[in-house]
Amino acid sequence: MKKIKFMIMTLAIAFSIGGAFATAPRPAQECQAATQYYLNGGAYVLAGRLGIDYICNTPSSAVCTYYKVGTTYMPCMWGNYCTSNCKTGNPTPKKARN
Amino acid sequence: MNKRQVVLESISALLIMLFLYASISKFLDFQRFIGEMNNQPLPNSWTPFLVWTVPSLEIAISLALIFERTRMVGLIASLVLMTLFTIYTAVILLHFFDYVPCSCGGVIRKLSWPQHLVFNLFFVVLSVIGIILQRRSFFKSILITKNSFV
Repeated sequence: MKKIKFMIMTLAIAFSIGGAFATAPRPAQECQAATQYYLNGGAYVLAGRLGIDYICNTPSSAVCTYYKVGTTYMPCMWGNYCTSNCKTGNPTPKKARN
Repeated sequence: MNKRQVVLESISALLIMLFLYASISKFLDFQRFIGEMNNQPLPNSWTPFLVWTVPSLEIAISLALIFERTRMVGLIASLVLMTLFTIYTAVILLHFFDYVPCSCGGVIRKLSWPQHLVFNLFFVVLSVIGIILQRRSFFKSILITKNSFV
């Protein structure tokens, strides 16, 4: 009985630790680890830090931020780009900065 | 090992997998977790407290669930935590806040908010079943301890 108990617990712990490592983002593949940009008037500008400088307001089919692959900007996060003050319910776009 | 014990062990194993996986995932990508926590409609001043408390609590609950002696405490703690997560998810879905943030955390981040709600409710139900099943052996062990003193 104790053997079965021990086996179930060992499997649970092994699966959770193994699963966490297996699904951990790899910096090279994970777009969110890259520098984020947002589209502002046809130009890509630095988005800043997620949650501090901006948030991606979901649900929305719009591209919130992009990341750079070589010289191309690829979509990364979805939602409406807005700055921290969108939490107050009156979003105003932040000034573009490079 | 009777049926009740098998179910109880399986429930504990599922909860351990959930909490251990979620906490390790958070620590493995801590910077992103901080960003995602800031992205939640909670005051950003809470972030330094929450980013350490939530995963630490999850690990503590997992440890409590492993050992027979602390399992009851672990089950109650997991019920409380999962209920809080469920209430938060429901509040998000009811558009109580000005915006809907991303739903984050390892593979779980791929779930939408309604899926999150079902997922959380499932684990709330599991915790309740676990407490009911554990209660019997918990009181039994108390009785045995009391009798041994008599």
